[in-house]
Order: sequence, then structure tokens, then C-alpha cells
Amino acid sequence: MILSIGWKNVWRNKTRSMVVIVAVMLGIFGGVMASGIMKGWIAQRIHASIYNEISHVQIHNPEFMLNEDMNLTIENAEQILNVLDTIPEVVAYSPRVKLFAMVKSDWSTSGLYVKGVDRDKEIEVSEIYKHLLEGDFLEGKHRIPSIVIGSDAAKALKLLNYQVTPEKIDSLNVEEYPVEIISKLGDIGDKRFRKEKDFREALTENLTKHEYKEYGDKLVEYFSFYRLGAKLELTLQDTSGQIINPVFKIRGIYKTSNTMFDGLTAFVDRQKLNTYTKLGENDIHEIAIISTGNDEGKELGITLEEYFAGSSVMGWDKISPEIAMYTQFTSLMGIIFVGIILFALAFGIINTMLMSVLERVKELGMLMAIGMNRKRVFYMIMAESIFLTITGAIAGMIFSGIILEITGRTGINFNMYAEGFEALGYSSVVYPTVSWFDYISIIILVIITGIISSIWPARKALKLNPVEALRTD
Amino acid sequence: MKVIELKKVEKIYNDSEVKVHAVRGIDLEFEEGEFAAIVGPSGSGKTTLLNMLGGLDKPTVGDIYIGGTHINDLSGSKLIDFRLFNIGFVFQSYNLIPVLTAKENVEFIMQMQGISQEERYQRTKALLEEVGLGDRLDSRPKQLSGGQQQRVAVARALASKPKFVLADEPTANLDSKSTENLLEIMEKLNKEENITFIFSTHDQRVVKKARRVITVEDGKVLSDERK
Ligand SMILES: Nc1ncnc2c1ncn2[C@@H]1O[C@H](COP(=O)(O)OP(=O)(O)O)[C@@H](O)[C@H]1O
Ligand SMILES: [Mg+2]
Repeated sequence: MILSIGWKNVWRNKTRSMVVIVAVMLGIFGGVMASGIMKGWIAQRIHASIYNEISHVQIHNPEFMLNEDMNLTIENAEQILNVLDTIPEVVAYSPRVKLFAMVKSDWSTSGLYVKGVDRDKEIEVSEIYKHLLEGDFLEGKHRIPSIVIGSDAAKALKLLNYQVTPEKIDSLNVEEYPVEIISKLGDIGDKRFRKEKDFREALTENLTKHEYKEYGDKLVEYFSFYRLGAKLELTLQDTSGQIINPVFKIRGIYKTSNTMFDGLTAFVDRQKLNTYTKLGENDIHEIAIISTGNDEGKELGITLEEYFAGSSVMGWDKISPEIAMYTQFTSLMGIIFVGIILFALAFGIINTMLMSVLERVKELGMLMAIGMNRKRVFYMIMAESIFLTITGAIAGMIFSGIILEITGRTGINFNMYAEGFEALGYSSVVYPTVSWFDYISIIILVIITGIISSIWPARKALKLNPVEALRTD
Repeated sequence: MKVIELKKVEKIYNDSEVKVHAVRGIDLEFEEGEFAAIVGPSGSGKTTLLNMLGGLDKPTVGDIYIGGTHINDLSGSKLIDFRLFNIGFVFQSYNLIPVLTAKENVEFIMQMQGISQEERYQRTKALLEEVGLGDRLDSRPKQLSGGQQQRVAVARALASKPKFVLADEPTANLDSKSTENLLEIMEKLNKEENITFIFSTHDQRVVKKARRVITVEDGKVLSDERK
């Protein structure tokens, strides 16, 4: 019956109880989402790093690590590849040649790392082919060999152009844009802009300020196009130190969440590159390996280090220690965040329960007078706050469960801040992931906070003197 | 049989700056089956005296025996349990738990005593019928009038089968009709079931019903008359 009284007392002051329940609910929601977003972020960041950039394990000539001289190829590469074929933890590997080259388009120049890869092996190791904005990833045979570059490199080489073509105007969605804008766009003419800045200037000249503000960004995106098929002339040395200038045709443009990588990395066929540079058919600078999972990848790195003592073997955690650090940093942030939430929650519960006790001084005095002992009074007050917390916890579980279910699928878009995030290599769309362990620990922490913070108000109730409490005047 | 014995009881409130000598040497005895009123003006010490009779407060000087137990010696949880099993209380107000129904309010005290559900149920029903609330078992205090609430309080006080019932100004907040009604019920219980009632009042109509009238003033017994 004490439990039943506790439960009924919860609903005595409905507004106040609802405030606490909603607070608990939001506390759980906030904690779950905060840790979910951070975890999701980190998981995505690690996934992107590994599957777009570094793989689980990389093998190099140890000296190549210090000085990226093209002659520092991996020794006994063939033998190493044969061994890798026999290791079950090696899911896939890709032999690569890696060179730095100056790259010239008809309009600009930029420095790029050019990776010579075997297409079929590369796509098993990296997901770049899944991140293509345009074209394909080194498919087919062509007289002028293909090169795949990142969108930021394309911008730097002025290969992202803007043009208001009549076809594009015709296919503009009339429902999305007012008719006046469509006619004004016609005034810009079928002219090609090589810089975003120039195109924006043309837009501001033709549109009103308000129209530009409302539709500018969308129009810039809509009328932009990559100059797929443009030729790039590379400047690099061959094995003998001779400068060579091979020409490639852009047949693919990719975009990952890391703008720095996108601005610096290009892919070509390895055999073609080796022919130009006079590297041997089996000469490679890098072997990128994918294992069955991230943790297995770490261990594989350690194992292979022993196998191939003559080469430099590094697991992803050693190649990119900053990622491991981010992980720690964000979990610390998560803990601090959850801590702040719990602290606020404790404050709210103490306050509410204290109010609820002080409001009932006479009633509690009466109960103690007629024979309700301290233990029962204590349990009654505790039961009340525990019910309050648990109701909030259940509501919070359901609420955050639903939101997680939705956002886990659709992702949360931090587009407003995307530039900053992407410059750091973080995707602007985050898919929160919460492990059962996190989920349950947060709920348990919230409930424990609820219980602990009700001890003080309950003790306050025990200190009541029934004679004084009952004095009616 | 003696249910209460007070010997040279004094009470001095010491907790504020001024000492208040609220009870100044009272010797009293109460027998089983009494229907006694403690009367006196406001501030004369009635509540202080009743609190000591009920084991809610302890005398500064003197001894109090309830059913033979020297309650000066009881402390803390022992005293609370002693009250639970020996004394029924009716207060001027705030008698009932607002979230419980009339029935539950009566049952609750028996549950604390560890009485079986079956017995609780029977007794609750019988008691509420006796105070004329057989049809209001499931009403919340808010849905009852002041007089009805006090009748539930009487039923609750009797539920624990106490040695006697203490009522500190039980009619102070009631209109004259409810007052009369409550008094009738108390009288009936006293006569038919030999329940001992000790109540304080300053209402002359209530005093008239009492079979023993103890007049206090300034913390002393002025007169003690039996009819
Ligand atoms: N806790 C207390 N502290 C100090 N003085 C008190 C306290 N309780 C009662 N008194 C004083 O004791 C006297 C008797 O009070 P009380 O027993 O309540 O009288 P009554 O019930 O007859 O009105 C009054 O003067 C009152 O002010
Ligand atoms: Mg009084």
C-alpha cells in the first residue's frame, strides 16, 4: 500500500510531476542522442578514413615513409602478395604506386598525389568508386588513359563550371522557382563561368537581392557542372630523373567527406603509370589491406609486422593516431555531457521532491502521529521519486528509441556547419548509433540519479516532528 | 481499569527564547469506557496535555503511564509503534491521506499493523457503516464534507483497536449539525462498544454531552466533574 500511495502521490500535482517526468525524459533523450551522435560521428569518421583513405593495414618500403622517392619500392613485393593470399584475415588488398605530380588543366595548375592502382583490386579495398559525382572509376580501355580526381581538385583546376544552358532552363522545376526568375536567368545568356564567384556576380546583377538570397545557392548548384572529359597534363619524373608530361583524361570525379583528401588525391591505372615512369610491372610503393573489421585490422597490423620484418607495416591506428584520439576525446565529451545532464536532473528532482515534502508537512505529521514509522515514511517518499524517475525513464526510452530509429536511417544533417565539419574530415550527415550498452547505462544512470537525489528530500521528511507539523495555527 | 495515569506532569517549552510553562503540575487518571472532555480557553494547554496523553510529546517533569506502560521510557520508533497499536487519533484537520479513498484510509492503519486483508476488509466496511458512511467507501476526502471526513477519521482511529481515542478539538471546523452528528456517533460507540474517548473542546454544546468534564486553565486543572 505504501507503493500505491507513492504512486498516487506522483499524480497529486500533475503539472509538477509532468515537469520532472519530461525532464527525465529529455535527460535520457539528450544523453542518448549526444552519445549517439558522437559515436555515430566517430564510427563514420573511422569508416570513411579506413575505406576511403588509409585501409586497415598499409605496407611500404621503410625508407619510402621518410622520403617518398619513387625508386623506394617495396622489396619482395611479389612474395608479400603471395603470402597475403594465404592469410584468412586479409579480405582484400590493393597494390599501388604513389607519386606526386604537378597537374595542369587548360585553366589552372595544382599538385596532386597520383595513385596508380589495379582497378579490380582497388575497388575491393577502397570505396572511392561509391563516391563518384560523375563518370566512372577507371573502367574500360581508352587511347588517352583515364584519371579520377576529387571534387576539390576539380575546383582548384577550374573544372567546375557554371552555365545557364537553354536545356537546363527548360527543365527547371516551375513549381520551385517563380516565373520572373526563369525569365531573368535567360538574360544571363549561354555563357560559361569558370569561377563560382563570377557566376554569382552574374546572378546578383540579374536578380533582386531578395531573389538572390532565396534562390542563389540552389541556382549555383543547379547550373554547375564538372568538365568531365577535360585533359590533364601531369608533370613528374621517371625513374631516371627525366621530366615527363603524360596526358590523362578526366573520366571520374569523386567527393568524400574529407575535402583535404579530395583536393589532393587522384587515381590512374597502375600499369599505364608504370609505363610512363619506367617503373617495372611489379614495382609498387604501397599495399593497402582490408581485414574483416576494425579491431581485426589492428591485430592484423601487428601480425603482419612480424611476418614482413623488412617492410614497414602499419595498422590504421598507427597510421592515423589522431582518429583514435578523437575517439577518446569524443567519449570524454560524451561523458561530460551526460554528467551535466545528470547534474541538472538531480537538481530538478531534489527541488521537486523537497517542494512536495514541504507542501505535505501536516499530512506527514499526521501519518507519523498515528503510527507510521520512519522507515515507512522514507520508503513512501523514495517510492514517489522512483516512480517519477522510472515513468520519465520509460517515456525517455520510448521517445529516444523512436527518434534514434528514424535518425539512424535518415541521418541528421548538420548542413549549416558542414563546411567546417568536412574540412576536418567529418561528414555533415550523421547517423547516430547507440549500442545497447550505452543505451542501458544511460537509463540506469538516470534512474540512479533519481534515486540518489530523492534521499535528501526523504530524509527531510524524517526530521519532521509530528507535534510541530500538526500545530494548526 | 485504568487506561491512563498522569503523575505531577509539567511541560515547559524551551525551544524558543521565552520559556513557556504550558502545563504546570497535573495529576489525572482515566478509566476504560470514559467519555471525557477537556475544556478551557485557547492557550490553556489542552493540546499540550492531549499530545502527552497520546505519546506524541513527553513531559518535562512527571510520569505518564498508558495501559501500564511508562511511556517516558519509550523513544523513537518504539514510541511510534506504541501509538500505532494503542492509541486512536482524531485531529482538528488534515486527518486523511488525500490520495486514498475513505476505505483505503481506514485500511491503511490496519495494514501497518499487519492485519490480514480479509479482516481489514470486513472491519473497514463495518466501521464505515457504523459512522454512517457505508455508501461512501470509495469517495476521496475531497468528495466528502468536513463532517464526513471527521467521521472517516473516527473510523480510522477505531480501526487499530486502540485502548482509547484522543480527539483534539474534533469539531472545531464543523457546523453545528455536523458537530451534533459526530458527537452522536462517538456517544453511541462509547455506550455500545465501551470505547474510551478523550476530547478537547471549547464548544459548550460539546461539553454538555461529556460525562466527565476536566476544566484546565493556565496549565492547571481547575475542576474535574463527573456526571
Ligand atoms: N512548541 C511550542 N513552543 C513554545 N510554546 C508553545 C508550543 N506549543 C504550545 N506552546 C504554548 O503553550 C501554551 C499552551 O498551548 P496549547 O497546548 O496549544 O493550548 P490550547 O490547545 O489549549 O490552545 C500556549 O501558550 C502556547 O503558546
Ligand atoms: Mg489546541
